[in-house]
Amino acid sequence: MGRVPAHEGLLCHLIKYARPDLVEKIAEAQQIETIVVGLGRQGTRHAGMMRDFGTTVTAGIAAGRGGQRIHETIPVYDSVADCLSEHPQIAAASIWRHYSSARDAALEVIEARIPLVMLITEGIPMRDVRDILAAARARKTVLFGGNTPGVIFPPEGVKIGMLPDVFYPEETSPGEFGPRGVTIISRSGAILYHMSDALASAGIAQNAVLGIGGDAANGSTFQDLVPLTMAYENTDVVVIAGEIGGSKEELLAEDIGAHPEKYPKPLVALISGAHAPEGKTMGHAGAIVAPGQEFGTFRSKKKALEAAGVTVVNNQTDLIDAVKSKLNGKTYFEVSRYYDKMKTTWEALPKKPEWGTLITRVAPNSLLISGYPLEEIIARGTLLQTAHLLVKLELPSAKALETHEVAARKAARLPAPPVERREGQDLSAALAACFLIDSELAAIPQTGKDGPVGKTVFALGRFARYLAKLLGNEAALDAAGAKEPFSGIVYRAVTGEAELVTDRARMIETMIVASVDHGVTPPSAQATCIAASVRADYQMAIASGVGAITDVHGGAGAKAAAFFRQCAEKAEAEGIDQSDATHALLTEYMQRGQRIEGLGHRVHTQDPRRNVLWSMAERWGVAGPCTAVSKIVGDIFEKVRGMSLPINVDGVIGAIVADMGLRTDLAKALFVYGRVAGLSAHYFEEVASQPQMRRINFAEAVYKGKAARSFPD
Amino acid sequence: MRLYEYEAKKVFETVGLRVPRQYGVIHSPADLDALALEFPVMLKAMVMIGGRGKAGGIKKAKDLAEAKAIAEKLLKLVIKGYPVEALLVEEVVSEAGACYLGVTTNPATFSVIVMASAEGGVDIERVALEKPEAILKREIPANDATLPAATAREFASFLHAGLGGDQSLEAGLQEAVAKLYQAFQQYDCKVAEVNPLIVTTDGTPIAADAKVVLDDNALYRQGALFELLGIKESRHDVSELTRDEQRARDAGFLFVDLLPQDAVKDPEKLYVGLVPGGAGYGIFSIDEVVNVGNRYFDGQAVPVNFMDSGGGPTLARVAEMFHLLMDKEIVDVIVTSRFGGISSCAVFIRGLIQCLRDRHERGLRMLPVHGRMVGTDLPGAREYLTRAKAETPESLKDLEIIVGNQKIMADVIREGLAKGLEFRAKQTA
Repeated sequence: MGRVPAHEGLLCHLIKYARPDLVEKIAEAQQIETIVVGLGRQGTRHAGMMRDFGTTVTAGIAAGRGGQRIHETIPVYDSVADCLSEHPQIAAASIWRHYSSARDAALEVIEARIPLVMLITEGIPMRDVRDILAAARARKTVLFGGNTPGVIFPPEGVKIGMLPDVFYPEETSPGEFGPRGVTIISRSGAILYHMSDALASAGIAQNAVLGIGGDAANGSTFQDLVPLTMAYENTDVVVIAGEIGGSKEELLAEDIGAHPEKYPKPLVALISGAHAPEGKTMGHAGAIVAPGQEFGTFRSKKKALEAAGVTVVNNQTDLIDAVKSKLNGKTYFEVSRYYDKMKTTWEALPKKPEWGTLITRVAPNSLLISGYPLEEIIARGTLLQTAHLLVKLELPSAKALETHEVAARKAARLPAPPVERREGQDLSAALAACFLIDSELAAIPQTGKDGPVGKTVFALGRFARYLAKLLGNEAALDAAGAKEPFSGIVYRAVTGEAELVTDRARMIETMIVASVDHGVTPPSAQATCIAASVRADYQMAIASGVGAITDVHGGAGAKAAAFFRQCAEKAEAEGIDQSDATHALLTEYMQRGQRIEGLGHRVHTQDPRRNVLWSMAERWGVAGPCTAVSKIVGDIFEKVRGMSLPINVDGVIGAIVADMGLRTDLAKALFVYGRVAGLSAHYFEEVASQPQMRRINFAEAVYKGKAARSFPD
Repeated sequence: MRLYEYEAKKVFETVGLRVPRQYGVIHSPADLDALALEFPVMLKAMVMIGGRGKAGGIKKAKDLAEAKAIAEKLLKLVIKGYPVEALLVEEVVSEAGACYLGVTTNPATFSVIVMASAEGGVDIERVALEKPEAILKREIPANDATLPAATAREFASFLHAGLGGDQSLEAGLQEAVAKLYQAFQQYDCKVAEVNPLIVTTDGTPIAADAKVVLDDNALYRQGALFELLGIKESRHDVSELTRDEQRARDAGFLFVDLLPQDAVKDPEKLYVGLVPGGAGYGIFSIDEVVNVGNRYFDGQAVPVNFMDSGGGPTLARVAEMFHLLMDKEIVDVIVTSRFGGISSCAVFIRGLIQCLRDRHERGLRMLPVHGRMVGTDLPGAREYLTRAKAETPESLKDLEIIVGNQKIMADVIREGLAKGLEFRAKQTA
């Protein structure tokens, strides 16, 4: 759909009044960034509805909830200042706080120089309102409310507040919207819908609908906004909706009389309450403030406005006629387009239930982690870099990475928890036990801005120690130099080799990175998410995920390694081709009804991790006969079984592990190592962005993270 | 919320603004016996309406016998429709001069405005009209918690100039205006007013009368004040609720009778009950009914009520909104509109249908309901309505809800009025 560009709309025109410096940035970014202040039920709900409408909701503000996310994608900051330090372009805020704390929220927003503020809160004490108005005057803030339903700009497709989408902009050709139209300014929300509905039913477009608020005292009023909107070149007529009570309409009339040059365009006023009983009249003192002036009644408003030359109407039919005549019969769109749109909106089937993850996009033959293709990460990233990316969704700075290195090294040096692997016990079960009783890990805080990533990095360091302990490699680990890179530490812990061979260490790290994550659906990720949903602590949740990695899930590498080694040995021993040896062994396996592990994948036909692992194996000089077999086994399988079951990442890792002359069960150790990073990310995402104890349907998860981007060299 | 004079005076005392000594509040002449009085005393009718002095509601008594006689009379007084049920008995203050002091919010700018005049004790509104220079007004745009000293001094010297007398008066006046301002801010007042502020012969300013209106929005944080005044819950300022207004209040929605509670039905008129969506449209739809009535039905249409369902009403509340109007003898037809932005059309239609079926089953009075619904959950609401009409055609025969916005509300109201007239004609025939 052809929306009006952000910098050409009326919304930007209003922003320009208070903050001309923002306009250029808006034109550049082609978006107007907004925040939602106060994330109770209403604020949270409407943050999602605004975003769905098309508004750029950059962040939510709620003290004590910094680091969380609402609607899975909208980050939460503790304060407006925190948010602005990362998003300096915020141009509008809506405030949804309770009336008892609305003042503080409004002052915070206004003093941060956010130019447009929608104060949704109803019933704020007058004394607090006066403080808010004093601040707004000092900053030239365009303040709507208290008790505003918000504002909506149909041509730009932006709304801030709670107005439902019942409006229609100028349409230059079907689907191409223009900025011209009538601007509506109203005290009441419900009247706005009925006014717009009436005008739209006559083909009259609304380029903006502005609710100034129903409370007795509020920020911008008619005499502020009518001139401001009339100064916008694409506004043809301004319509205001007033009602009995207060003196806003009379003050507008007075201002028109005093400064007619500020009101160069036609103005129509719909005033309601002609037949309502007289409400509470202004008190004694009010009458002394403005002696002899009648105000607050329908009569006084109509009289004052008509004396100022404003057309006053009191019903929908007259409203349509009045606006039509001001426009000389001009219409802005085909009326049927409006009816069709409303019909489509209201008859739309309920949305398919879904929930979002920002970590990994899993698609056939493609894996993106926060937008970066996993094969590029495998080729160029380190484990700690990848862990940081998984948890924080952005790559670490050089400085942050250095901090992580130090922290991980330190964690690896601390003594292992007293876990002994029982005879025949699955390695992952013993590793899970380590997590559960590790008091060093438990002592690391997991909250705060850098809590999650710090905890993850520490856990990855600890994991080296767990492995070393369970595999009997502690002596090798302890031989590491004080400044040895973390990849060296991992290498020692995994292999038990006292001598660091850099290329082999790099290969080990590469395979770990290749295993980090595969979205929320693997059973290990599900187990961790469920533990996170009931807010189990980090150690418990990671142990749940690690414990779910069994022979069935994630255990293929070890068996594949054994098979490839067998093929290579048979070729060697019998002096035959590797393909012949593989063919023979495969056939034997089939005849015995034995499964070949490391083949096939439920999502990928061409696993994106496969080729990069093969080429890294070449690069680090570890590729041998097993790797060679892994490259041909898929084709041979197809010949033997007649079905295509290409090799998967477990298979390739198994082959490389075998070629490196390592214990085959290390294939699984590497897989678990990598997954600790991925599970950590899922744990923290669940805690930060989902309600407690939600019912999780993993099939409904949708990737809502960053679009594809290239991993830096 | 408006405070009684004796309550307002307690408020002033807490900030150190002098008030006459208060002996007590009495409800009968006999109550005077229990008070330790030093004569003469003032007896003041406790009504929340201005001009009570002119109406004879304030009297001075020189001894107990006179006090009882005056009390007897005052307690039978009705001032501007308000019966006098209690009297404040207080000290008589000897006065050398009287001023006016007031603090409120300027309705044009919403800033605090402080006002004073040396011509107190009289009809200050007339002074404002006829002699505006006799009133000093200052806005305090920064909303300071205490009155800036320079402003307080300005008021003091202005009042002193008007009152004449010794220079030493100024300190007391400055303090009085600052204290009134402090009370206004501290207790979240909409109005804090003293008229007259008496300057006694020894130069002390005393608030002989006191008016305080509290900001209803801020009552939640004035618990300490409520405790001081012995008030349990907030009071209504406006007149008593009517029967149906009370019924609606109990059910959790806002309802205002536009006609007197027991209005006599004019057979020439069509009385229209309204179930609108939203407060703003609630007011507007009243006008719309009159306007459509004037345009097409010889001015026969008379709107009966204002109603505001509040955001997202429950099914039971929707049903009660319709029950209330159908129970109301005077109503001939109900016009309704649901613009489901935040609230749901499905809940609305279910509530309405539940009400109609319930009434049909119990043989209660049924009225035609005509209206329109658009917005959130419309497909579900439409389906429910169609099915319900097929299932119980008899109880829903006079229900017509237009689904969607092919007609604007003004046209829907026109149809509703026509239907109401037709229905009434059938009833009479």
